[in-house]
Amino acid sequence: MNPRAIPALLVLALLAIIVVAPLAGLAGLGLSPEYAASDLAFWQDAYIRRVLAFSLQQALLSTLCSVLPAILVARALALQPAFALRGLLLRLFALPLVVPSVVAVMAVVSVFGSGGWLPLGRSLYGLNGILLAHVFFNLPLAVRLLLPHWQAIPRHHWQLAAQLGMSGWQRFRLLEWPALREGLPGVLLLVFMLCLVSFAVVLTLGGGPRSTTLEVAIYQSLRFDFEPLRAVVLALLQLALCVSVALLTLRLQRLPEVEISIEPVAVVERRGLSLVNPLLIALAAVYVGMPLLSMLLDALSGPWLAVLRQASFWQAVANTLFIGLGAALLSVTAGWFLLRYGASLAYDGRTQAARWIELAGSVVYVVPPLVIGTGMFVLLSSRVDVFDWVYPIVIAVNALMGLPFVIRSLAPPMRQNHARYQRLCRSLALGGWNRFRHLEWPLLRRPLGLAAGLVAALAMGDLGVIALFGTPDSATLSLLIYQQLGAYRVAEATVTALLLLALCLAAFWLLERGIGGSGDA
Amino acid sequence: MLEIRRLEFAYSNAAPRMHFELDVEGGEVLSLIGPSGSGKSTLLALLAGFLEPSSGQILLDGEAIEGMPVERRPVSIVFQQHNLFPHLDIHTNVAIGIDPSLRLLPEQARAVDEALERLGLGGLERRRPGELSGGQQQRVALARVLVRRRRILLLDEAFAALGPAQREEMIGLVRQLVAEQRMVALLVSHQPRDATLASARTAFVCDGRIAALQETRALLDESPLAEVRDYLGSL
Repeated sequence: MNPRAIPALLVLALLAIIVVAPLAGLAGLGLSPEYAASDLAFWQDAYIRRVLAFSLQQALLSTLCSVLPAILVARALALQPAFALRGLLLRLFALPLVVPSVVAVMAVVSVFGSGGWLPLGRSLYGLNGILLAHVFFNLPLAVRLLLPHWQAIPRHHWQLAAQLGMSGWQRFRLLEWPALREGLPGVLLLVFMLCLVSFAVVLTLGGGPRSTTLEVAIYQSLRFDFEPLRAVVLALLQLALCVSVALLTLRLQRLPEVEISIEPVAVVERRGLSLVNPLLIALAAVYVGMPLLSMLLDALSGPWLAVLRQASFWQAVANTLFIGLGAALLSVTAGWFLLRYGASLAYDGRTQAARWIELAGSVVYVVPPLVIGTGMFVLLSSRVDVFDWVYPIVIAVNALMGLPFVIRSLAPPMRQNHARYQRLCRSLALGGWNRFRHLEWPLLRRPLGLAAGLVAALAMGDLGVIALFGTPDSATLSLLIYQQLGAYRVAEATVTALLLLALCLAAFWLLERGIGGSGDA
Repeated sequence: MLEIRRLEFAYSNAAPRMHFELDVEGGEVLSLIGPSGSGKSTLLALLAGFLEPSSGQILLDGEAIEGMPVERRPVSIVFQQHNLFPHLDIHTNVAIGIDPSLRLLPEQARAVDEALERLGLGGLERRRPGELSGGQQQRVALARVLVRRRRILLLDEAFAALGPAQREEMIGLVRQLVAEQRMVALLVSHQPRDATLASARTAFVCDGRIAALQETRALLDESPLAEVRDYLGSL
């Protein structure tokens, strides 16, 4: 047996336990004799029907409001000749990827909330607020995903179009749209999925039963209404929706890749349009930058001493770091063993098996973390006090959420390394610790550091499973912000949000540099 | 002496079976030429232990080595590329050939320095492969061959990426090395000129077998085999 198979199979077994056992728990409770079959007939329940309809409605609207403007902004960025702030702007568009969702909510509240620069009053809470926050997150993501499609158009095609005297519209129809059409469905489905499983945004900005999604309804059923069966029905519904979207995406077989090319496409716009692109770019930059800037200013004039004096704040800092670092360690270790085995399978020509291993690591795309959390809650609550198990559960689920990032970051260099040096290593008897020390660590520490930093930042900012299992003692900063908001201590929440953001960015930077190093290995 | 006896291999049950039979003397560089996919590199991979033969024997001075694990075979191999680890300096890239843990005895460390000096790499010890030319990089790989002192040297299109003058120079170095250490060397190349420079004898590999084995000049100029003429004519 391939010695790399044993740790990989252990990781796969662990994954199966984390994902399958809770699902079995959900199904088991659903089929339990103490419940009548009619209890599962969700279509007869007006509340569940309403929740389902709103989940789909907000996801659909959020997707359209994010992706349609993103097409215009990405096009503007691709066609606009190089300008001084281009690199900075693209970095700004990367920020929402690592900003914790609860921090983004605070940023949106700071602009559109009462006392903000553009106050919407009570109407912020509900569909409006959800859309504003989802667009803040997903417009930059969609721009980053769509931009490479313009870069992929060969330079000769642009030159040909210019030579043939094509108008802007003709160029879009004949050159740009065919390139864009390749990736657009994948981007639409990805953003739809992200909005469908969005939890923190809806929890904090939903504003009541009228604006409840499946995710939030699951949380309320377990934590407030004590109705596990309803939570099970909702979780299974959510699972069915996610599996459908994932299957549709797989059918398209064009999963979007986040790649950024800094080089603009060299196209000379006609005079009449030359102002439109800069204007579109500026509007998008303001939309993404303004909430963060506004929150920063609000926080700087906030009640720092009051926040820093609270013991609960420091307890939350410790919990946040523990969960973030624990999840990063677990996720990177699991990903390492999975990918090492996958790389050796791919090298031996078993590419399909290698692909399945990578897909297994990305299972969280299909099974939302809150569904897993619900399953664990249901499975464990009859046997143990689930709140005693908060740390292992939250760390495990967050590690699982981070695993796709680890796989994405590590898989290509690991496969390349294996393909290039496997024979040389074998002929030089370079194996085990020596191989790790001399070959794998120096060549892979960079993607490893990046993955560890990303997973830690995501886990530290997560407000999902921790909301389900968290107690006052185990609250993280995200949960503390939610509690502060619930108690109408918005100024304190803003300060805490800024500190959480700083902590996430610091952890990301330290891990990326600490593990990845700054050398040229 | 290296003896390859009825060595058989197939990539799958459906793929054609390859069959090799060959003798190479100590101190000899035998060139292997032939069309792409004919089995030249497969033969080297079988000798190095990267592939397992379905039957047959590989004997070195009468001792069977076909069952030995890769790392214990008396083999050094130089590929066309990726012979060096890009993040390690030149000295370490050579030293790792002696002991992968890099715990070298003083005389081993001296041997590394001498090998580098001998191959004209003195003063470049702390450079990384990316800072060297293609020819210098292959010299580093040869320096590692020198310090490993294994009896069999396999060169798998090792000089294909170099210009004609550099190739000539490297082949000269290989010949010296092989003669000094009484090695058995097999050189896979697509360039008939490499065979002329490197080898008194050359084997023509075709359809997974040695189709012809004779003096290099005779094989290249006078071979009656249609496959050889087709191959040389297609170059």
